[in-house]
Amino acid sequence: MRRLLARYLIASTVILLVSGFLGVLIRGSQAGVGKLDDNTWYALMTAHGLGAFVGWAGFAVMGLALWVLDELGYELRRAGRVLAQATWWLMVTGVAGVLISTIAMHFAGSWVFLYPLPFHGAQQWGRWATAVFSFSVLLAGLSIVTWCLAILHTVVGPTLHAVKSSLANRLGVALGLGYLWPKRFATNPTPVAYPVIPLTVIGIDMIIATLPLAVLLVEMIVQAFSPGVHVDPLLAKNVLWFFGHPVVYLLLFPAVAVYYYLVPKLAGRRLVAGNVIAISWAIAVIANVTVWAHHIYIDYPDHSHQATINVFMQPITFALVIPSALSLYSLGLTIYRSDWRWGVVETSLFLGLFSWLTAGLSGVVNATIAFDKVVHNTLWIVGHFHQMAIVNIGFVVFAGIYYVLPNVYDKPLWSEALGKWHIWLTFVGVTVNSGFWLWQGLNGAPRRFAELPSGYEASTRAALPFVAMIGFAQVLFVINMVQTLRGAERRVVTVPRDNLLYAVEGMITFLAIILAVGAGAAGFFLGRATAEHSSGGSGVTTSKTTTAQAAPSPGRAIFASAGCGGCHTLVAAGAHGTVGPNLDAAKPPLALVVDRVTHGKGAMPSFQGQLSALQIRTVATYVAAATAR
Amino acid sequence: MSGTDLTILIAYGATVVVATVATLGVWISTRSKRPVDAHRLAEFEKRWLLIVVAILVALLAATIWFTPYGKSTPANAQVVTVGARQFFWQVNPARVRVDRPVAFVTRSSDVNHGFGIYKGHRLVAQIQVVPGKSSTLVQTFHETGVYTVLCLEYCGLGHAGMRTTFEVTK
Repeated sequence: MRRLLARYLIASTVILLVSGFLGVLIRGSQAGVGKLDDNTWYALMTAHGLGAFVGWAGFAVMGLALWVLDELGYELRRAGRVLAQATWWLMVTGVAGVLISTIAMHFAGSWVFLYPLPFHGAQQWGRWATAVFSFSVLLAGLSIVTWCLAILHTVVGPTLHAVKSSLANRLGVALGLGYLWPKRFATNPTPVAYPVIPLTVIGIDMIIATLPLAVLLVEMIVQAFSPGVHVDPLLAKNVLWFFGHPVVYLLLFPAVAVYYYLVPKLAGRRLVAGNVIAISWAIAVIANVTVWAHHIYIDYPDHSHQATINVFMQPITFALVIPSALSLYSLGLTIYRSDWRWGVVETSLFLGLFSWLTAGLSGVVNATIAFDKVVHNTLWIVGHFHQMAIVNIGFVVFAGIYYVLPNVYDKPLWSEALGKWHIWLTFVGVTVNSGFWLWQGLNGAPRRFAELPSGYEASTRAALPFVAMIGFAQVLFVINMVQTLRGAERRVVTVPRDNLLYAVEGMITFLAIILAVGAGAAGFFLGRATAEHSSGGSGVTTSKTTTAQAAPSPGRAIFASAGCGGCHTLVAAGAHGTVGPNLDAAKPPLALVVDRVTHGKGAMPSFQGQLSALQIRTVATYVAAATAR
Repeated sequence: MSGTDLTILIAYGATVVVATVATLGVWISTRSKRPVDAHRLAEFEKRWLLIVVAILVALLAATIWFTPYGKSTPANAQVVTVGARQFFWQVNPARVRVDRPVAFVTRSSDVNHGFGIYKGHRLVAQIQVVPGKSSTLVQTFHETGVYTVLCLEYCGLGHAGMRTTFEVTK
């Protein structure tokens, strides 16, 4: 177990560093620092999303879950060991494949690869990239399935002490049903340990959720080479989210198992939990696979049943609040008035619980259809899940690492103080950065925009110092890990704690906060100044098409409002689209522009219905004149 | 920011404040050495469950009526056809009347797009445009002026530049 756990934690931490770095690059580019070209931006977003979500947070808690079971006496048996090894290899290969298909082969279908987008790469990526990407995600999916099998095989083992021997009954015991029906799901001598319950729930659910996605991924690999094969896009969307929702809980539920195990241990008392907690997990095992449509509340095509499905999924999603609400109650009150030491592990777990609460509350907003219609696909969602993934799940991962180093590997932490700095700086950085995202989302800022519409520059730049703070904190983490693993002499502050030291510490902390806030404010005002300069007004005009000239001509206004700049480059109009021909290079004559805009050709649509003949003439004259120079 | 956005901001902000106070309470409590009656706290969890269920039922009852679904196109509606393709919109006609319902009948001829209508920085309404089907968004505008359309579903290279405008007049 020691070696297996180390492999999971080391691999996932390497993936964190790589995908975290990509995250800093794309957020920086959005703020105008180190501008990336659009397809690179979307390709890095794809790699960042899958890498950080599944390859870091998911992978790490999968390893910690196996360790928790081992600590509770549920040793991996032979088949379980083979499955756990296979899980590791499948995940590492899958993540490597995702990195290759995105960074080297330019696949930029986003990490939800919404069908049929992977087959419409706009000449940026081809079928091989789609095939390699789909295959890599399939490997990661299979990795999840083998992990589930390893978990289920382990929990139904002899340590469960189930009285009845049928597999169904033992699964029921592992789900905690013995707390509700002690006779039917009898155990002897002790009832099932709490951390086993969420692991059994997710072990069952992820198998159910992953298999349909696996079929879709195989279809995508086939379609990459036989373009005649198709799937209904709405069905594909449902299949994607049928997996996409439970995979969120592939992060949360194992993290809950770690909380259930570590919090009582560190608080020095049993988990404060009544039998009622078993009810919440019985709800979870069913609700987890019946709430997927809350990700597609805004889909309600004519003559489909999607709207009906969506309406039913709001109450079911609300039911999923119950496991979180009861767990937070139990864990919070286990810490309440306990001998909680506030070391790095305790701090990390405590801040994790707080973030679970606040990120859960923004999740309730997304779960409510009436609210989702104004926040769906805005940066609000991005704020919600970054907070959930990094400072809730991620803090369980960090707490796990800080805990196992001395307790499992006999490697006392090189510096506890540095560990606390890592946790606190990450907490502040992520919370503030997510706060900016939530705020921008409420103000309509769309997500997945390589370049945000104008008007959001100020808050994007203000957030940047906090992004840098998150990155810097991980550097501290790496230094601490390297020193600890090298067995460097422990750094313990032996200076007597007099008032002078407290004063100096206080001053340094104060200066650091002032510096971060100052940098944020500078970014805010700089961003606002540039926004005012470039757009000259409010509204979601794309800054791309509104730079350069001061007084827009009527032709230029039509060029901008009809969206010509989305596809074409025309420097005079500040347009840099790369989908259609570059107008500056093509220098089309007036008659040709009129003809193309009126009748369209190939990918170019006809604008006859949308623009009047006079408007077409005006925009054509503008284009011809602007490129003739 | 719309009224709904403001509701979210106030409700979320207030609950976060409550959550922060509760968290600080637990934090400070760890300085106390008084023992706790863990059994009583575990028993109270049943009541906590009822409280949570009551809050969720109340939120459900208050919000479920405001879904965007099932709005049939009224007889006096102005029908606007919306074509979505990588990476442009075709909105026809691009001028509608204020205070009269508009039915936007959207279709995509390639990938998923999101038809998002903005007035300034306020997201007025949105609907997903799934290829192979038509999706209808019924919306009445009470304010004249130029509205911007952005794509609210990632659709590839030109996604961020996929925009157009239409006008609401008297």
